[in-house]
Amino acid sequence: MPREPRLTPLHPSRVLVAVATLFAVALTVAACISPPDKPPDPQAALVAKGRDLFFNETFGGNGRTCGTCHREERNFTIDAAFIATLPNNDALFVAEFTPALARNFENPRLMRQFGLILENLDGFDDLENRFVMRGVPHVLGLRVSVASPQGPRTGWSGDGAPADGSLRAFATGAVIQHFTKRLDRVAGVDFRLPTEPELDALEAFQLSLGRQQDLALPLALKGTVPKRGQEIFLDNGLGKCNVCHGNAGANLAPGNNANFNTGVEDLPDQPARLTGERVPRDDGFGRPGDGTFNTPPLVEAADTGPFFHNNAIETIEGAVAFYDGQSFNNSPSGRFLASTDPNRIGIRLDGTQVVAVAAFLRVINALENIRQSIELLRVAEGAGFSQHEEAKRALRRAAAETRDSIKVLAGGGLHPEAVAALERALRLTEKAARGALTRDERIREAIAAQEKARAELVAETK
Amino acid sequence: MRTLLSVTGILVALLCAISHAHGQKATEQFIPIGQSPGVSLKVTSIGEIADVNAAARTVTIADPAGRRTVRVTDQTRIWLDRTRIKQSNLSGSFADLRTGRRVEVKYADPARREVAEWVKVEVGE
Repeated sequence: MPREPRLTPLHPSRVLVAVATLFAVALTVAACISPPDKPPDPQAALVAKGRDLFFNETFGGNGRTCGTCHREERNFTIDAAFIATLPNNDALFVAEFTPALARNFENPRLMRQFGLILENLDGFDDLENRFVMRGVPHVLGLRVSVASPQGPRTGWSGDGAPADGSLRAFATGAVIQHFTKRLDRVAGVDFRLPTEPELDALEAFQLSLGRQQDLALPLALKGTVPKRGQEIFLDNGLGKCNVCHGNAGANLAPGNNANFNTGVEDLPDQPARLTGERVPRDDGFGRPGDGTFNTPPLVEAADTGPFFHNNAIETIEGAVAFYDGQSFNNSPSGRFLASTDPNRIGIRLDGTQVVAVAAFLRVINALENIRQSIELLRVAEGAGFSQHEEAKRALRRAAAETRDSIKVLAGGGLHPEAVAALERALRLTEKAARGALTRDERIREAIAAQEKARAELVAETK
Repeated sequence: MRTLLSVTGILVALLCAISHAHGQKATEQFIPIGQSPGVSLKVTSIGEIADVNAAARTVTIADPAGRRTVRVTDQTRIWLDRTRIKQSNLSGSFADLRTGRRVEVKYADPARREVAEWVKVEVGE
């Protein structure tokens, strides 16, 4: 009589092996059905290397990186509100816990209260007395805001880089000024200088950030007040903003980023000076300085305050109102504009006009946030199995951009329907970042919400 | 109005042209000889001081390309490169330009190579 097959009970270890095998097979299948990873792109690799250096490389110095001050989550700048969220051992505060940097390296009070950084732009021979206090400029849109017929313009006064003055050389000067272990600043001891390939990568990364081209104004804006703000902005007989900030960028004309003395240093009641701390007059470009400062782009302004080289004004409305004040109108630039005006007026704007121009700046900033958000969402959409981390990072950045657009519009009481769409986009983006299974579906919905928000702000031009 | 715009544009362009770019030189002091990005050996010469003429305020530099005499003006910055002895670089003066010392000279006009914009001189003591 044939024996019935005997079922032997599975040993627990065999069960484990079987489950592990099944899991491995499932992972392999998941990897196979994911879209294939994109082929390597040399420029993308250079940008990725630059990103890594920007955020992680201390160059053998005091622990700071480029990203210590140029925070990605804060639009590549910092302000007092953000600084207040940092732990006391953050490298930003190195002057507070490194005895060798306790004097004449930073002013911790002004850093914490106003986000100001100490710079020795006129030399290092008298550290006690020769320094300036400056905010941290964002590094967005550098592709369209550095070139000038006289050479590259970097930093607040356009002369932020040593050597050939280029954006590429900028990192070398930054390491010497901000990364040093001691004020002796000896290369090879207090820091190491970036190598040529590192400078190439850092430059490529910075040039990849933000806008790659200027706007073409006027835009078909839908909001009544922002639309009026754009008219004032472009009216060279009224707002005169477009004279220096062509297309709300940083240029007089494409490739012509210029310097002007607009009288910011003459503002009364500058916050840093109100503290009683020593804040020498900033003489701007050159050594000794000629009093001029570099024109920054305006598209990115509304979410990168405080404003001007000395963080003198906190709000975008206040920054626009500056041009209606005496400091500007008595400055060389203000007097010059007046000399070309039939009524000898530099710039004169009333309160509603100031708010309208600011509303315009808020809307174009939000449009740029939306553009970047969609771009980042598309990076994450369909990301391959091995690109999971890159996708998550892109989604986090998209969420940060979306938060900015909400803040910028809501802060000006603008476009509530767009704000609602952006809030939905934010929720979807955050969901996409949390779960991989339905990620692409959430991303597509988030893109649709972003596009809806954009459609509330501006009519599509085909 | 169009005329006003054109005039404004032209005059503002002229106004900005007053600011001729020469770059921020302050941190240049701490860059050792030969390591200035985009500048070293492109618009500089690196060599030994072969001769100094204090009366004419010129120095003659011998580098692999030959000998070249360059003028030092009141605007020329002179730095003492002490990186090799691991000490801080200092501001120097014409008196620090001595025969036999290694120098890097950046020319104010790279095409003419007559006047020094800055001179880094290596000192070991």
